[in-house]
Amino acid sequence: MRALAAIFALVALALPSATGAGGSFTVFAAASLTEVFPKIDKKPRYSFAGSDQLALQIRQGAPADVFASANPKYAQLLFHDGLVRKPVTFATNRLIVIVPKSNPAGLHSVYDLRRDGVKLVIGDSGVPIGSYTRQLLDAIGIKDAVLENVVSQEPDVKGIVAKVALGEADAGFVYATDAKPVASKVHKILLPDWSQPPIKYQLAMVRSTPRRVEARSFLNKVTSKRGRLLLKKAGFGLPPLKKR
Amino acid sequence: MGSARLDITVPLRTFELAVALEVGAETVALVGPSGAGKTTVLKAVAGLVRPSRGWISANGSTWFDSLGKVNRRPEQRAVGYVLQEYALFPHLSVEKNVGFAGGQPRDLLERLGIAGLAKAKPGELSGGERQRVALARALARKPEILLLDEPMAALDPHTRGRVRAELRLLLREVELPAILVTHDFVDAAAVADRIAVLVDGRIVQTGTAEELIAAPAGPFVAELAGGNLLTGNARLRVDGLTEVVLDGGLAIVSTDEATGPVGVVVHPWEISISREEAVDSAQNHVRAPIESIVPVGNRRRVRVGPLTAEVTEASAERLGLKEGEVVVATFKATATRLTALS
Amino acid sequence: MSRILFAASTAVAAGVAFAFLLLPLVAIFLRVPLGDLFSQLGNQVFQDALVVSLKTSLIAHVSVLLFGTPTAYLLARKRFFGRGALITLIELPLVLPPAVAGIALLAAFGRFGLLGDELDALGISIGFTQTAVVLAVAFVESPFYVRGAIAAFEGVDPDLIAAARTLGAGPWRVFGRVALPLAVGGLGAASALALARGLGEFGATIIFAGSLQGVTQTLPLAIYAQLDQDFDVALAISALFVLVGAAILVSLKVFGWARHGSISPFRFAPSSLR
Repeated sequence: MRALAAIFALVALALPSATGAGGSFTVFAAASLTEVFPKIDKKPRYSFAGSDQLALQIRQGAPADVFASANPKYAQLLFHDGLVRKPVTFATNRLIVIVPKSNPAGLHSVYDLRRDGVKLVIGDSGVPIGSYTRQLLDAIGIKDAVLENVVSQEPDVKGIVAKVALGEADAGFVYATDAKPVASKVHKILLPDWSQPPIKYQLAMVRSTPRRVEARSFLNKVTSKRGRLLLKKAGFGLPPLKKR
Repeated sequence: MGSARLDITVPLRTFELAVALEVGAETVALVGPSGAGKTTVLKAVAGLVRPSRGWISANGSTWFDSLGKVNRRPEQRAVGYVLQEYALFPHLSVEKNVGFAGGQPRDLLERLGIAGLAKAKPGELSGGERQRVALARALARKPEILLLDEPMAALDPHTRGRVRAELRLLLREVELPAILVTHDFVDAAAVADRIAVLVDGRIVQTGTAEELIAAPAGPFVAELAGGNLLTGNARLRVDGLTEVVLDGGLAIVSTDEATGPVGVVVHPWEISISREEAVDSAQNHVRAPIESIVPVGNRRRVRVGPLTAEVTEASAERLGLKEGEVVVATFKATATRLTALS
Repeated sequence: MSRILFAASTAVAAGVAFAFLLLPLVAIFLRVPLGDLFSQLGNQVFQDALVVSLKTSLIAHVSVLLFGTPTAYLLARKRFFGRGALITLIELPLVLPPAVAGIALLAAFGRFGLLGDELDALGISIGFTQTAVVLAVAFVESPFYVRGAIAAFEGVDPDLIAAARTLGAGPWRVFGRVALPLAVGGLGAASALALARGLGEFGATIIFAGSLQGVTQTLPLAIYAQLDQDFDVALAISALFVLVGAAILVSLKVFGWARHGSISPFRFAPSSLR
């Protein structure tokens, strides 16, 4: 019996700690922030994915300390459900259409996407990029026609970027910031300002985090002058500076 | 009738196998220690192993010729190969096993006395039954050469004696050239017409069992063929033992049961020598003069009358054995083995 | 004392293992009310995904069996220069992250891939089609089958093969009447494993074929997509997936049992017994 208890104790000690305490500072961020966040602060552990996925994980108790969402919807819902502190908008973005460098379908404007046989890749309706895309197409008034050409609905924006960059798809709707890393492989088709949905990125500290100081420091870094400069360089828009 | 001739060289791991044989409508046994290359010879004849040099022919048609670049695939050679442990197809019934090479298995099953096992699976059979199925299967191939690899190794000693006699009969009946591989000289002597002794890849002696026993070419053959093989006529006695009157006139007794013409096998190391007939439990005493004393290592082969006994050098010196002296060779009835001769 | 300790330790280890494996599966079913489960059967997303999954997995699996079995037979029976390298090559998809497999497939069969121009000339476009799903699934599941099949064929006593040849059987008969029947237990096990892997394939599929309901959205892709939209639907489809997978495994085992009288698909038929 003693031997068994000893074995159990050893096993329990050996198991990696499942609680947040003892882990490292973790930021859950929307996939479109993959390049810019590590430039702003390279210390945290990042998990980049669709904002909806991340919100779901936080709901299930994932060990995130900070949440950066590409759509206010997710951050606000978590806030109202008491899981995060009040979110703050730190960046904006725009949608663009990208086509492979060789432009196999010969597309020049968003209206060309209505053409028969165009292979279009967009985001899944549950993912921010997907719902933004649908909003934009609706605003332009070509949603149904264009959606007929969709050949794949991706669970995150990086999947769209990959398929266009590899030349597999004729076109894809992504964030303006996503075009920069693959600039050599794609052409951009800009979309009219008046059709752009308001894409606000919001940052919120997870309420249950034991690392408040680090979280606050991270938030400050992102909203600091340096942080804003890096965001601007990456192609994000910036919200007006709040007067202190 | 049939004939098979071969002259092959096969490089093995530690030595080179170089064997030449001519087999008429008879059974030749390849005897030798394990690792001597016996199974390789069979595999070469069957086409499963390719000799580096040489030729193999059966009934005049060439199966293999390294110079003429002939090498028939195993499925093109009419061999009946009974493998060690028989390699019966476990998922097929006896009937289907025997019929694998084609044709109707019924006749063969009857001939080998296993007709009643037709629907059984190999896993349900005894060792002796499996051997018969393997034989039937090989014969169903209508082979030109029969190859048997240790056909009795998988049998218990009890069944062996009976199987030996049956196999001998069967081989005589089919009149095919047969090569039988075994490490047991007594099996070879009982079943084969001729014996070839294979040592380290070379045949050191070929001949009948009697020839090998009487004049072994070298210590290995002497050791191997050590068994005394005599002939005589047997009859059952009232006390349950079998009395054998040897061809020379001597009468000895054996615990084996037999009647009619028999071969008598007694191993030299089971024969002890004394100056006087001792009062002991042994039944067989042969008083005769010493014909020869041959040293083999630290032992002495002493020929007493028709028997060859083997004693230690020390014992021979202790007894002061000399050629010409009359001594008594003693051996027990239980050490006297009988094999049927037809 | 050491006997009791051994028995206790193995019991504890087994208990932990079973608990670990069963708990998540049981948890799914506990989270989904049974009524929901059945109502989800009518869900269009589920039905479309089920059809896509079954269709593509079946075609992929049959192809793997058709091409993989002779391949495994060749690799099991013949020793030739480069055999080891070939086997390692076949096993490669095993160690590749599925995403890498997807990218590799794009690089080969994609529009601008290695064979892109040739396929284009034939009027064939593979990207975003069910064919792409079939290719992705086949690519990822084949090493599971081929490895197991090689082991199954190697498990056939070479003496039996030799005996068959001396009995006049050419290569077709040796394969069909001896090697295949004796290896079928191991082949079945390998097949079950590969089929299961194929059904669950996600990474290579989403990259090579994309995800579109009714066309390329398999069950795993559907579950992932529903996670965004309706977690409960995702749960229900997951539970149904567990049932579908279990049904397939059980039916394969029953088939194996009926043929060989043994529940374990890993029992290789022995050759002539001692």
